[in-house]
Amino acid sequence: MVYYLIVCRSLTYAQRTAAALERAAITAHILRSPKTIAGEGCSHSVKVSQRNLAEALVVLKRAGMSPSRVYIMESDGSYKEVEL
Amino acid sequence: VIYLDSAATTLQKPPAVSGAVRNAMAHMASPGRGGHRAAMLAADTVFRCRETAARLFEVDSPEQVIFTLNATHALNLAIRTLVHPGDTVVISGYEHNAVTRPLKALDAHIVVADGGLFRPEAFLTELGDCLSRCQPAAVICTQVSNVFGYILPLDRAAALCGDAGVPLIVDASQSAGTLPVRLGTWKAAFAAMPGHKGLYGPQGTGLLLCGSRAAEPLLYGGTGSQSLRQEMPDFLPDRLEAGTQNVAGIAGLLAGLRYVQAAGTETILAHEQRLIRRMVRELSRIPGLRLFDGTDTGAQSGVLSFQAEGVDCEELGERLSRRGVAVRAGLHCAPYAHQSAGTLETGTVRASVSAFNTEGEIDRFAAILREVL
Repeated sequence: MVYYLIVCRSLTYAQRTAAALERAAITAHILRSPKTIAGEGCSHSVKVSQRNLAEALVVLKRAGMSPSRVYIMESDGSYKEVEL
Repeated sequence: VIYLDSAATTLQKPPAVSGAVRNAMAHMASPGRGGHRAAMLAADTVFRCRETAARLFEVDSPEQVIFTLNATHALNLAIRTLVHPGDTVVISGYEHNAVTRPLKALDAHIVVADGGLFRPEAFLTELGDCLSRCQPAAVICTQVSNVFGYILPLDRAAALCGDAGVPLIVDASQSAGTLPVRLGTWKAAFAAMPGHKGLYGPQGTGLLLCGSRAAEPLLYGGTGSQSLRQEMPDFLPDRLEAGTQNVAGIAGLLAGLRYVQAAGTETILAHEQRLIRRMVRELSRIPGLRLFDGTDTGAQSGVLSFQAEGVDCEELGERLSRRGVAVRAGLHCAPYAHQSAGTLETGTVRASVSAFNTEGEIDRFAAILREVL
Protein backbone atom coordinates (compact mmCIF):
# COMPACT_ATOMS: atom_id res chain seq x y z
CA MET A 1 0.00 0.00 0.00
CA VAL A 2 1.31 3.44 -0.93
CA TYR A 3 1.52 5.88 1.93
CA TYR A 4 2.97 9.25 2.78
CA LEU A 5 5.03 10.40 5.70
CA ILE A 6 4.65 13.93 7.03
CA VAL A 7 7.95 14.64 8.80
CA CYS A 8 7.54 16.66 11.99
CA ARG A 9 10.10 18.58 14.02
CA SER A 10 9.11 16.96 17.30
CA LEU A 11 7.03 14.19 18.74
CA THR A 12 4.63 16.75 20.21
CA TYR A 13 4.22 18.44 16.84
CA ALA A 14 3.57 15.04 15.28
CA GLN A 15 0.93 14.43 17.94
CA ARG A 16 -0.70 17.77 17.22
CA THR A 17 -0.63 16.96 13.51
CA ALA A 18 -2.19 13.54 14.05
CA ALA A 19 -4.80 14.99 16.39
CA ALA A 20 -5.80 17.62 13.81
CA LEU A 21 -6.16 14.94 11.14
CA GLU A 22 -8.12 12.60 13.37
CA ARG A 23 -10.53 15.39 14.25
CA ALA A 24 -11.22 15.54 10.51
CA ALA A 25 -11.74 11.76 10.45
CA ILE A 26 -8.46 11.13 8.62
CA THR A 27 -6.60 8.11 9.93
CA ALA A 28 -3.11 9.14 11.02
CA HIS A 29 -0.41 7.06 12.64
CA ILE A 30 2.68 8.40 14.38
CA LEU A 31 5.99 6.63 13.92
CA ARG A 32 9.67 7.38 14.23
CA SER A 33 10.97 8.79 10.96
CA PRO A 34 13.10 6.38 8.92
CA LYS A 35 16.76 7.33 9.32
CA THR A 36 17.10 8.32 5.67
CA ILE A 37 14.52 11.09 5.93
CA ALA A 38 14.85 12.08 9.58
CA GLY A 39 16.85 15.20 8.77
CA GLU A 40 19.04 16.34 11.66
CA GLY A 41 18.82 13.05 13.50
CA CYS A 42 15.78 11.61 15.24
CA SER A 43 12.32 12.87 14.39
CA HIS A 44 8.77 11.64 14.18
CA SER A 45 6.45 11.39 11.21
CA VAL A 46 2.74 11.08 10.67
CA LYS A 47 1.71 8.38 8.25
CA VAL A 48 -1.33 8.91 6.03
CA SER A 49 -2.64 6.84 3.17
CA GLN A 50 -2.32 7.94 -0.43
CA ARG A 51 -6.03 8.59 -0.80
CA ASN A 52 -6.06 10.90 2.24
CA LEU A 53 -3.01 13.07 1.52
CA ALA A 54 -4.76 15.86 -0.40
CA GLU A 55 -7.44 16.26 2.22
CA ALA A 56 -4.86 16.01 5.01
CA LEU A 57 -2.89 18.90 3.52
CA VAL A 58 -6.04 21.02 3.36
CA VAL A 59 -6.90 20.22 6.98
CA LEU A 60 -3.38 21.02 8.17
CA LYS A 61 -3.25 24.27 6.22
CA ARG A 62 -6.54 25.30 7.80
CA ALA A 63 -5.08 24.51 11.24
CA GLY A 64 -1.98 26.60 10.50
CA MET A 65 0.17 23.48 10.51
CA SER A 66 1.24 23.09 6.88
CA PRO A 67 4.01 20.50 6.76
CA SER A 68 7.42 21.43 5.42
CA ARG A 69 8.48 17.94 4.33
CA VAL A 70 6.37 15.07 3.01
CA TYR A 71 7.74 11.79 1.63
CA ILE A 72 6.16 9.01 -0.36
CA MET A 73 7.25 5.43 0.13
CA GLU A 74 8.29 3.96 -3.20
CA SER A 75 7.59 0.36 -4.20
CA ASP A 76 11.23 -0.57 -3.51
CA GLY A 77 10.92 0.64 0.08
CA SER A 78 12.83 3.88 -0.48
CA TYR A 79 11.44 7.33 0.26
CA LYS A 80 11.10 10.23 -2.13
CA GLU A 81 10.32 13.78 -1.09
CA VAL A 82 7.08 15.14 -2.49
CA GLU A 83 6.95 18.67 -3.86
CA LEU A 84 4.24 20.57 -2.03
CA VAL B 1 -5.49 12.88 60.65
CA ILE B 2 -7.07 16.23 59.89
CA TYR B 3 -4.93 17.35 57.00
CA LEU B 4 -4.76 21.14 56.71
CA ASP B 5 -1.51 21.55 54.78
CA SER B 6 -2.74 21.50 51.21
CA ALA B 7 -0.90 24.73 50.41
CA ALA B 8 2.26 22.62 50.64
CA THR B 9 0.92 19.43 49.04
CA THR B 10 -2.56 18.03 48.75
CA LEU B 11 -2.45 14.68 50.52
CA GLN B 12 -5.90 13.43 49.64
CA LYS B 13 -6.10 12.87 45.88
CA PRO B 14 -8.81 11.59 43.60
CA PRO B 15 -8.42 7.76 43.49
CA ALA B 16 -7.80 7.94 39.73
CA VAL B 17 -4.46 9.64 40.37
CA SER B 18 -2.71 6.73 42.08
CA GLY B 19 -4.38 4.36 39.61
CA ALA B 20 -2.91 6.30 36.71
CA VAL B 21 0.55 6.30 38.31
CA ARG B 22 0.45 2.54 38.85
CA ASN B 23 -0.76 1.95 35.31
CA ALA B 24 2.01 4.12 33.86
CA MET B 25 4.68 2.35 35.88
CA ALA B 26 3.42 -1.02 34.68
CA HIS B 27 2.88 -0.24 31.01
CA MET B 28 4.61 2.93 29.86
CA ALA B 29 8.19 3.62 28.76
CA SER B 30 9.72 6.92 27.54
CA PRO B 31 8.02 9.17 24.98
CA GLY B 32 10.09 9.84 21.89
CA ARG B 33 12.64 7.18 22.78
CA GLY B 34 11.29 4.37 20.65
CA GLY B 35 8.46 3.54 18.33
CA HIS B 36 7.26 0.53 20.31
CA ARG B 37 3.93 0.29 22.03
CA ALA B 38 5.17 1.13 25.53
CA ALA B 39 6.88 4.29 24.29
CA MET B 40 3.91 5.40 22.21
CA LEU B 41 1.49 4.75 25.08
CA ALA B 42 3.63 7.04 27.22
CA ALA B 43 3.75 9.63 24.44
CA ASP B 44 -0.02 9.57 24.14
CA THR B 45 -0.48 10.11 27.89
CA VAL B 46 2.02 12.96 27.97
CA PHE B 47 0.36 14.64 25.00
CA ARG B 48 -3.11 14.31 26.53
CA CYS B 49 -1.80 15.97 29.66
CA ARG B 50 -0.37 18.85 27.61
CA GLU B 51 -3.66 19.21 25.72
CA THR B 52 -5.74 19.18 28.89
CA ALA B 53 -3.52 21.77 30.58
CA ALA B 54 -3.55 23.97 27.48
CA ARG B 55 -7.35 23.95 27.44
CA LEU B 56 -7.64 24.57 31.17
CA PHE B 57 -5.16 27.46 31.29
CA GLU B 58 -5.80 29.27 28.01
CA VAL B 59 -2.57 28.26 26.27
CA ASP B 60 -2.55 28.49 22.46
CA SER B 61 -0.88 25.17 21.80
CA PRO B 62 0.00 22.02 23.76
CA GLU B 63 3.62 22.61 22.71
CA GLN B 64 3.70 25.63 25.00
CA VAL B 65 2.99 23.46 28.03
CA ILE B 66 6.30 22.37 29.57
CA PHE B 67 6.67 19.64 32.18
CA THR B 68 8.89 20.52 35.09
CA LEU B 69 9.83 19.01 38.44
CA ASN B 70 7.73 21.53 40.35
CA ALA B 71 6.78 25.23 40.30
CA THR B 72 10.25 26.23 41.51
CA HIS B 73 11.83 24.61 38.46
CA ALA B 74 9.29 26.34 36.23
CA LEU B 75 9.92 29.72 37.86
CA ASN B 76 13.67 29.29 37.47
CA LEU B 77 13.19 28.65 33.74
CA ALA B 78 11.05 31.76 33.36
CA ILE B 79 13.30 33.99 35.45
CA ARG B 80 16.51 32.80 33.80
CA THR B 81 14.95 33.60 30.43
CA LEU B 82 13.81 37.13 31.19
CA VAL B 83 16.14 38.43 33.88
CA HIS B 84 19.83 39.10 33.43
CA PRO B 85 22.41 40.00 36.07
CA GLY B 86 21.78 43.45 37.48
CA ASP B 87 18.30 43.85 35.94
CA THR B 88 15.50 45.50 37.89
CA VAL B 89 12.49 43.29 38.62
CA VAL B 90 9.19 44.31 40.21
CA ILE B 91 7.58 41.70 42.44
CA SER B 92 4.47 41.67 44.60
CA GLY B 93 4.95 41.79 48.36
CA TYR B 94 3.90 38.14 48.65
CA GLU B 95 6.48 36.25 46.63
CA HIS B 96 7.98 32.92 47.64
CA ASN B 97 11.69 32.11 47.81
CA ALA B 98 11.16 30.22 44.55
CA VAL B 99 11.00 33.69 43.01
CA THR B 100 13.30 35.74 45.19
CA ARG B 101 16.22 33.30 45.48
CA PRO B 102 16.70 32.98 41.71
CA LEU B 103 16.55 36.79 41.53
CA LYS B 104 19.14 37.07 44.28
CA ALA B 105 21.37 34.60 42.44
CA LEU B 106 21.18 36.87 39.40
CA ASP B 107 21.99 39.89 41.57
CA ALA B 108 18.76 41.48 40.34
CA HIS B 109 17.52 44.73 41.82
CA ILE B 110 14.21 43.81 43.45
CA VAL B 111 11.49 46.44 43.72
CA VAL B 112 8.52 45.38 45.86
CA ALA B 113 5.01 46.56 45.00
CA ASP B 114 3.15 45.91 48.21
CA GLY B 115 0.04 47.83 49.23
CA GLY B 116 -0.79 45.77 52.30
CA LEU B 117 -2.50 42.50 53.06
CA PHE B 118 -5.94 41.99 51.45
CA ARG B 119 -5.78 45.41 49.80
CA PRO B 120 -5.83 44.69 46.06
CA GLU B 121 -6.57 48.28 45.03
CA ALA B 122 -3.54 49.54 46.96
CA PHE B 123 -1.40 46.86 45.32
CA LEU B 124 -2.48 47.99 41.86
CA THR B 125 -1.64 51.59 42.72
CA GLU B 126 1.80 50.50 43.95
CA LEU B 127 2.39 48.38 40.88
CA GLY B 128 1.44 51.25 38.58
CA ASP B 129 3.84 53.53 40.45
CA CYS B 130 6.66 50.99 40.21
CA LEU B 131 6.09 50.51 36.49
CA SER B 132 6.22 54.25 35.87
CA ARG B 133 9.28 54.78 38.12
CA CYS B 134 11.56 52.04 36.80
CA GLN B 135 11.81 50.06 33.62
CA PRO B 136 11.88 46.50 34.93
CA ALA B 137 12.98 43.50 32.93
CA ALA B 138 9.92 41.71 34.27
CA VAL B 139 7.11 41.78 36.79
CA ILE B 140 6.66 38.64 38.88
CA CYS B 141 3.39 38.23 40.70
CA THR B 142 1.87 35.39 42.64
CA GLN B 143 -1.84 34.89 42.07
CA VAL B 144 -2.39 33.81 45.68
CA SER B 145 -0.11 34.27 48.70
CA ASN B 146 1.00 30.88 50.02
CA VAL B 147 1.06 32.29 53.56
CA PHE B 148 -2.17 34.26 53.78
CA GLY B 149 -4.33 33.05 50.91
CA TYR B 150 -4.51 36.64 49.67
CA ILE B 151 -5.81 36.64 46.07
CA LEU B 152 -3.98 39.29 44.11
CA PRO B 153 -5.85 41.06 41.29
CA LEU B 154 -4.03 39.33 38.45
CA ASP B 155 -6.33 40.37 35.60
CA ARG B 156 -5.76 44.05 36.30
CA ALA B 157 -2.08 43.63 37.17
CA ALA B 158 -1.57 41.89 33.83
CA ALA B 159 -3.29 44.76 32.04
CA LEU B 160 -0.95 47.25 33.72
CA CYS B 161 2.06 45.19 32.63
CA GLY B 162 0.67 44.98 29.10
CA ASP B 163 0.19 48.74 28.94
CA ALA B 164 3.75 49.25 30.15
CA GLY B 165 5.15 46.65 27.75
CA VAL B 166 6.74 44.71 30.61
CA PRO B 167 6.71 40.90 30.51
CA LEU B 168 4.78 39.23 33.31
CA ILE B 169 5.63 35.99 35.10
CA VAL B 170 2.74 34.55 37.10
CA ASP B 171 3.32 32.23 40.02
CA ALA B 172 0.14 30.15 40.06
CA SER B 173 1.41 27.76 42.73
CA GLN B 174 -1.50 28.38 45.07
CA SER B 175 -4.15 29.19 42.50
CA ALA B 176 -3.99 26.54 39.78
CA GLY B 177 -7.01 24.35 40.35
CA THR B 178 -9.01 26.90 42.30
CA LEU B 179 -8.82 30.14 40.31
CA PRO B 180 -8.86 30.69 36.57
CA VAL B 181 -5.31 30.78 35.19
CA ARG B 182 -5.63 32.68 31.92
CA LEU B 183 -2.29 32.83 30.13
CA GLY B 184 -3.93 34.06 26.93
CA THR B 185 -6.08 36.77 28.52
CA TRP B 186 -3.18 37.99 30.61
CA LYS B 187 -0.77 37.87 27.65
CA ALA B 188 1.73 36.74 30.27
CA ALA B 189 5.20 35.66 29.25
CA PHE B 190 5.08 32.65 31.56
CA ALA B 191 2.96 31.05 34.27
CA ALA B 192 4.38 28.47 36.65
CA MET B 193 2.54 25.93 38.78
CA PRO B 194 3.12 22.72 40.70
CA GLY B 195 1.23 19.55 39.88
CA HIS B 196 1.03 18.35 43.47
CA LYS B 197 -1.13 21.06 45.07
CA GLY B 198 -4.45 22.22 43.63
CA LEU B 199 -4.08 20.07 40.54
CA TYR B 200 -3.99 16.92 42.71
CA GLY B 201 -1.10 15.30 40.85
CA PRO B 202 1.87 13.52 42.41
CA GLN B 203 4.90 15.28 43.90
CA GLY B 204 7.65 15.81 41.35
CA THR B 205 5.35 17.32 38.75
CA GLY B 206 4.96 20.91 37.62
CA LEU B 207 4.08 22.98 34.59
CA LEU B 208 5.52 26.00 32.87
CA LEU B 209 3.06 27.67 30.51
CA CYS B 210 4.87 29.66 27.85
CA GLY B 211 3.53 32.69 26.03
CA SER B 212 5.05 33.91 22.81
CA ARG B 213 8.57 34.54 24.12
CA ALA B 214 11.46 32.19 23.44
CA ALA B 215 12.61 30.47 26.61
CA GLU B 216 16.11 29.49 27.59
CA PRO B 217 16.84 25.97 28.80
CA LEU B 218 18.18 25.20 32.25
CA LEU B 219 19.00 21.59 31.39
CA TYR B 220 20.78 20.38 28.27
CA GLY B 221 20.58 16.86 26.94
CA GLY B 222 18.64 14.37 24.87
CA THR B 223 15.19 15.25 23.60
CA GLY B 224 14.50 12.48 21.10
CA SER B 225 14.67 15.08 18.32
CA GLN B 226 17.39 16.64 16.11
CA SER B 227 19.92 14.26 17.63
CA LEU B 228 22.70 15.21 15.21
CA ARG B 229 22.73 18.78 16.50
CA GLN B 230 24.71 19.67 19.59
CA GLU B 231 22.51 22.67 20.38
CA MET B 232 19.16 22.25 22.05
CA PRO B 233 16.22 22.36 19.61
CA ASP B 234 14.84 25.86 19.08
CA PHE B 235 11.22 24.72 19.39
CA LEU B 236 9.00 23.87 22.32
CA PRO B 237 8.53 21.70 24.25
CA ASP B 238 11.81 19.96 23.36
CA ARG B 239 13.92 23.06 24.05
CA LEU B 240 13.03 22.98 27.73
CA GLU B 241 12.58 19.25 28.34
CA ALA B 242 15.96 17.48 28.25
CA GLY B 243 16.13 13.95 29.59
CA THR B 244 13.57 11.29 30.36
CA GLN B 245 10.26 12.60 31.57
CA ASN B 246 8.43 11.69 34.76
CA VAL B 247 5.81 9.71 32.84
CA ALA B 248 4.23 8.14 35.91
CA GLY B 249 3.94 11.57 37.51
CA ILE B 250 2.52 13.09 34.35
CA ALA B 251 -0.04 10.28 34.08
CA GLY B 252 -1.11 11.07 37.66
CA LEU B 253 -1.18 14.77 36.89
CA LEU B 254 -3.45 14.11 33.91
CA ALA B 255 -5.88 12.32 36.23
CA GLY B 256 -5.69 15.27 38.63
CA LEU B 257 -6.33 17.79 35.86
CA ARG B 258 -9.34 15.79 34.73
CA TYR B 259 -10.68 15.83 38.27
CA VAL B 260 -10.30 19.62 38.45
CA GLN B 261 -11.87 20.00 35.01
CA ALA B 262 -14.87 17.85 35.99
CA ALA B 263 -15.35 19.44 39.42
CA GLY B 264 -14.78 22.98 38.13
CA THR B 265 -12.41 25.51 39.67
CA GLU B 266 -15.31 27.73 40.74
CA THR B 267 -16.90 24.88 42.69
CA ILE B 268 -13.61 23.96 44.34
CA LEU B 269 -12.86 27.58 45.27
CA ALA B 270 -16.38 28.08 46.66
CA HIS B 271 -15.99 24.95 48.81
CA GLU B 272 -12.58 26.03 50.12
CA GLN B 273 -13.77 29.57 50.85
CA ARG B 274 -16.79 28.20 52.71
CA LEU B 275 -14.46 26.11 54.87
CA ILE B 276 -12.19 29.09 55.56
CA ARG B 277 -15.13 31.27 56.56
CA ARG B 278 -16.20 28.53 58.95
CA MET B 279 -12.65 28.26 60.28
CA VAL B 280 -12.57 32.02 60.88
CA ARG B 281 -15.91 31.84 62.68
CA GLU B 282 -14.78 29.00 64.95
CA LEU B 283 -11.26 30.27 65.62
CA SER B 284 -12.40 33.81 66.35
CA ARG B 285 -14.18 32.37 69.42
CA ILE B 286 -10.86 31.22 70.88
CA PRO B 287 -9.27 33.84 73.14
CA GLY B 288 -5.72 34.96 72.37
CA LEU B 289 -5.75 34.09 68.68
CA ARG B 290 -4.86 36.62 66.02
CA LEU B 291 -6.34 35.68 62.64
CA PHE B 292 -5.14 37.08 59.32
CA ASP B 293 -8.65 37.21 57.98
CA GLY B 294 -9.58 38.74 54.66
CA THR B 295 -12.75 36.76 54.11
CA ASP B 296 -14.92 39.88 54.12
CA THR B 297 -12.92 41.27 51.16
CA GLY B 298 -13.54 38.24 48.96
CA ALA B 299 -9.79 38.21 48.34
CA GLN B 300 -8.93 35.13 50.40
CA SER B 301 -8.66 31.59 49.10
CA GLY B 302 -8.42 28.35 51.07
CA VAL B 303 -5.58 29.43 53.36
CA LEU B 304 -5.73 31.00 56.83
CA SER B 305 -2.73 32.13 58.87
CA PHE B 306 -2.95 32.79 62.59
CA GLN B 307 -0.89 33.36 65.70
CA ALA B 308 -1.54 32.51 69.35
CA GLU B 309 -0.60 34.98 72.00
CA GLY B 310 2.40 33.79 74.01
CA VAL B 311 2.91 30.58 72.02
CA ASP B 312 5.66 30.10 69.46
CA CYS B 313 4.14 29.17 66.11
CA GLU B 314 6.37 26.10 65.69
CA GLU B 315 5.45 24.92 69.19
CA LEU B 316 1.78 25.30 68.35
CA GLY B 317 2.26 23.41 65.09
CA GLU B 318 3.92 20.62 67.07
CA ARG B 319 1.10 20.48 69.63
CA LEU B 320 -1.45 20.21 66.83
CA SER B 321 0.60 17.52 65.10
CA ARG B 322 0.61 15.43 68.28
CA ARG B 323 -3.19 15.62 68.25
CA GLY B 324 -3.41 14.53 64.60
CA VAL B 325 -3.79 17.91 62.94
CA ALA B 326 -1.38 18.66 60.08
CA VAL B 327 -0.65 22.37 59.62
CA ARG B 328 2.49 24.29 58.70
CA ALA B 329 4.19 26.81 60.95
CA GLY B 330 7.07 29.23 60.47
CA LEU B 331 7.90 31.45 57.52
CA HIS B 332 6.58 29.13 54.79
CA CYS B 333 9.63 29.87 52.56
CA ALA B 334 8.18 33.34 52.03
CA PRO B 335 10.03 35.96 54.09
CA TYR B 336 8.89 38.72 51.75
CA ALA B 337 5.25 37.87 52.49
CA HIS B 338 5.90 37.91 56.23
CA GLN B 339 7.80 41.17 55.87
CA SER B 340 4.79 42.69 54.06
CA ALA B 341 2.38 41.49 56.75
CA GLY B 342 4.63 42.37 59.68
CA THR B 343 5.05 38.77 60.85
CA LEU B 344 8.69 38.22 59.89
CA GLU B 345 9.87 38.01 63.50
CA THR B 346 7.19 35.60 64.69
CA GLY B 347 6.02 33.61 61.70
CA THR B 348 2.50 32.21 61.64
CA VAL B 349 0.64 28.94 61.76
CA ARG B 350 -1.01 28.22 58.45
CA ALA B 351 -4.07 26.06 57.89
CA SER B 352 -4.91 25.31 54.27
CA VAL B 353 -7.73 23.24 52.83
CA SER B 354 -8.50 21.30 49.68
CA ALA B 355 -11.55 19.98 47.90
CA PHE B 356 -11.46 16.94 50.18
CA ASN B 357 -11.76 18.68 53.54
CA THR B 358 -15.11 18.80 55.32
CA GLU B 359 -16.89 21.16 57.67
CA GLY B 360 -16.70 18.49 60.37
CA GLU B 361 -12.90 18.52 60.12
CA ILE B 362 -12.86 22.30 60.54
CA ASP B 363 -14.98 22.02 63.68
CA ARG B 364 -12.76 19.25 65.12
CA PHE B 365 -9.65 21.30 64.30
CA ALA B 366 -11.07 24.29 66.18
CA ALA B 367 -11.92 22.12 69.18
CA ILE B 368 -8.43 20.59 69.27
CA LEU B 369 -6.80 24.01 68.88
CA ARG B 370 -8.79 25.28 71.85
CA GLU B 371 -7.60 22.29 73.88
CA VAL B 372 -3.89 22.64 73.08
CA LEU B 373 -3.69 26.34 73.90
